[in-house]
Parts: sequence; structure tokens; C-alpha cells
Amino acid sequence: MYILAIETSCDETSASIIKDGCEEISSVILSQMNTHANYGGVVPEIASRMHIENITMVIDEALKKAKMKMEDIDAFAVTYGPGLIGSLLVGLMAAKTLSFIYQKPLIPVHHIAGHIYANNLVKRLEFPLIALVVSGGHTELIYMKEDYSFEKLGGTLDDAVGEAYDKVARVINVPYPGGPLVDKLAFDGQDTYDLPLPLNDNSYNFSFSGLKSAVINLAHNERQRGNEIIKENMAASFQNRVVEILVKKTMKALKDYDVKNLIVAGGVAANKGLRTVLKEACEKADVNLIVPEMKYCTDNAAMIGAAAYYAYKRGDIADLNLNAKAVDSLR
Amino acid sequence: MKYLFIDSATANLVVAIIDNGKLIYFYNNNDNHDISTKMMPVLSLAFNKTSLKVNDIDKIFVVVGPGSFTGIRVGLTVAKTIAYALNIPIVPISSLEVMASGNAGTALINARRGYVFAGTYDSELNVLKADSYMPMNHDLNKPYISYDDFDFECIKPDIDILKVVKKHENDLAVNPHALKPKYLKMTEAEENFLKHDRESN
Repeated sequence: MYILAIETSCDETSASIIKDGCEEISSVILSQMNTHANYGGVVPEIASRMHIENITMVIDEALKKAKMKMEDIDAFAVTYGPGLIGSLLVGLMAAKTLSFIYQKPLIPVHHIAGHIYANNLVKRLEFPLIALVVSGGHTELIYMKEDYSFEKLGGTLDDAVGEAYDKVARVINVPYPGGPLVDKLAFDGQDTYDLPLPLNDNSYNFSFSGLKSAVINLAHNERQRGNEIIKENMAASFQNRVVEILVKKTMKALKDYDVKNLIVAGGVAANKGLRTVLKEACEKADVNLIVPEMKYCTDNAAMIGAAAYYAYKRGDIADLNLNAKAVDSLR
Repeated sequence: MKYLFIDSATANLVVAIIDNGKLIYFYNNNDNHDISTKMMPVLSLAFNKTSLKVNDIDKIFVVVGPGSFTGIRVGLTVAKTIAYALNIPIVPISSLEVMASGNAGTALINARRGYVFAGTYDSELNVLKADSYMPMNHDLNKPYISYDDFDFECIKPDIDILKVVKKHENDLAVNPHALKPKYLKMTEAEENFLKHDRESN
């Protein structure tokens, strides 16, 4: 089964053709990152404007790369949410139109399901599993008993982890998108700053706004005293707290649910600090750790096409009145 | 020749199918608020009622703005996708011209904070004053034509799709990939960025 998938939930216009949920035939990703970097973050209206200018070209390029015609496609899949509503709508309308023209099923895919199934393109998922989803918009722990069954164990109560990275980056004068650079700086720094371990409790929830505020206050106080912030050390101290709490709660979930498979998904899955500590912890606990290739960490339509195959098998087929949802929990 | 007309930029969602100069399907309702869910069912109904397939369409006329940014994008994404997928010629149309198609005058869309999108057309749909984003002033040709409520007198648009299509029947079709909305207004972020740029130079 060939699925043409479309993803436009934030600042990447992407289309992919995926065979049977596990084989990537072709993918095209057009990133708007350089444009949004001028504004220090994604500007929703600009993102929507760029999506509509590029959507048909990206779809066309995906077909050409696959040497396929639209008639060869068995179903169309699209990210319906969560994400920026104006951005989502461009991909959604394109997918609905194609489904209508070719009278093929329209498969609605939740963005987080996509991030999880990115791993299915590397190696077939094994169940039960715990998924740690970490990105600029999400921080969630999800339990999966079988394909396309999602039980949310916990999530962030305020900022997503990637969002906290970007904000801390701004405080220590690292340009947008700051996450990857903070990760890099952390490797050259020492954990010298006294920062709290955020929401260190027995739940599976996270909270990063307190930690972020602590960084802001500390930086402010140091500057008031005329001391320069040592970027590398601040990055290392911040990253250590984030990684510690993410790993602690993830390992707790694995233990509580007696699960031996862990998947990390989302943009922050590219974070080397997180990968390193998780790898050690998983080896110690005899847990099978799966981290996606770098190219599948950021938003892409390949992951949507992979998830769509299993969504379709579960019977998720949408009507032409399918709407985009800015906020929606994974079910 | 069979034409498809789509306008989702203003308060009214309009979908029409024209067959050899006759309007064989016409949907024109003041229900553009949840346009993203309505658009495709309305389009599907248009083809069902006329027993046509999308493939039967020879040319698409699509409103590219000005108007609601999201509204413009919904209709334009659909039209672009059809035009690209089925290789159907596509022609961009102004929302203000459509509004002025029933009565000559100045079509207005409320752009808030005292600003309007305005365009003045005569009864042959010739442009007397090009579509623009401007502070409202009362020197424009009357009557004023608008779906929006203003504190001055406006007549409601009584649109004539056949007239619009006839006027643009022989316009050159554009490459669907290159077809862009005509917002007539930068985003706030871009305005601030440019302002900041000018001030620092």
C-alpha cells in the first residue's frame, strides 16, 4: 500500500511516499527555518504563507523522486494536529482535495503518532513500548501496548522541553533555534550553576517553566553583580537538570509498566546529552533503546506516512469535513 | 467549456460551476466561518448535483484575495491542488471585483483599525482604482459595497459570477505552483522587522 503523506504543522512543508508503513520511497522537506530565524522564532502567519506557496511543488517533487504518478497512490495521509492552525490547514486542504479528486481514503494522523512511527522506518516497532516524545511543542511519556494504541502517562504542565531550550538560549545569547547550540555548548561546560531539578516527584509529568525562570533570574543576578555568564557552564547546568528529570521519569515508567522497549521521538531526540545518558541508563536496565536517525527527528511527512498505515489498519479514515486541530490529545 | 469558480476570501463562500456560459451550480452562502470543514463537502455537492467529475473542468477561476488570510488560503489551496494534479488552467480573480460585479462602485472589506481593502470598478468590471490596503476615507467612488457592517452606508454585494468569468475568460492561465495569495498586507512581524530595519539604518 502506497501512502502519500503531507505534513505542514509548523515550519516545514513536507510530502513523502511510504510503502506499507515501513519503507520510505521518497521524501521532500522544505524548511522555513532561515526565514523564521530573522524573528527569533516561528511566526505563524509567515509559516502559513510559505506553506501555501510551496505545497504543490513539494508534493510534485515527492512523486517525481519516487518516479510515481498520483494514480499509483492508494491513500492520502495528513497531519491534522496538533500544530499551528493556519499551517495545518494548508496541508489538510491539499490532502482533502487529492482524496476527493482520486476517490482514495483520507487518513488523519496525529503529529505525535508520526514522531513515534518515525522509528518504524528504521526498525519495526516492538511492543509493549514506552515512547518519550520531546520536541519544541511536546514533552510526553506514552505507553503503547500494540500498534496504534496510545496511553498517555504524563506530559509537560507548561513549556515543552524544546521551548525551554530555545528560551534559555535567548537568555545566554545563543541565536535561534537555540536547542542544538545549547546542547553543543553544554559539552564544553561544567555543571557549576545551582539550578533546581524541576518537578522531581513521583508523577510522569514534567514542568520546565520553573527551571527556565531560574536560569533567567540567575543570569540577571549575575549581570547585576557585574559577572559575565559563562555560557558553556550555564548550558551544561541547564542541560544536566533537563536530562536528569527526563531520564528519571522515563526509566520509572519502564519499570512501573514492566516494559523493555523505549523509543525517543521528536526534535529533542537529536540532543546528544539526552541520547548519551539514556543509552547508559537503558544498558543498565536491560532496555532496548531506539532513537531515530537525525533526519527523522525533525518534522517530516515520512513519519506521517508510516503512522498512517497503522492508523488505516485501525480504521481511521476521515471525511471531507475533517478539520485541523491546534490542540488534540493522542488517542 | 466547463468552468469551476471558487471564492472563500470574504464573508460569503462561493462555489460555482459554469457550463457554456450558463450557471449550472451556484453556492453562495454567508457561512464562511468554518470554511475549512465546509469547503470540500460544498465542492463535492457541486460535482454530485451536476453529475460532473473534477476532470471535466476546463478552467478554474479562483479568488486570491484580498480578504481573510485563512479564508484565501483554504480556497486557493484547493484550487491550486486541483489545477496542479489534473493540469487544468487556473486564473486568479480579485475578491473586490467579485463583490463589485453586481453594482459598479467601491468594494470594501473591513481590515480593522480604521483600515480597509478597497477596489473601485465600473459596470464593465474595469478597474477605476486598483485594489489596495488603505485607511478608510470617504473620497472613494460610491456606492460602497460590502458584506461587513460599517458606520456609513453600504450596499450588500449582489454578485454576478457569469460577468466575472466572462471578463476573465481569456486571461492567461498561471502556473499553479507559482499562484500566490494577494493579501495586499504584510504580516505584523514583517512590518515590525522592516520598521526596525529602517530605524537602525
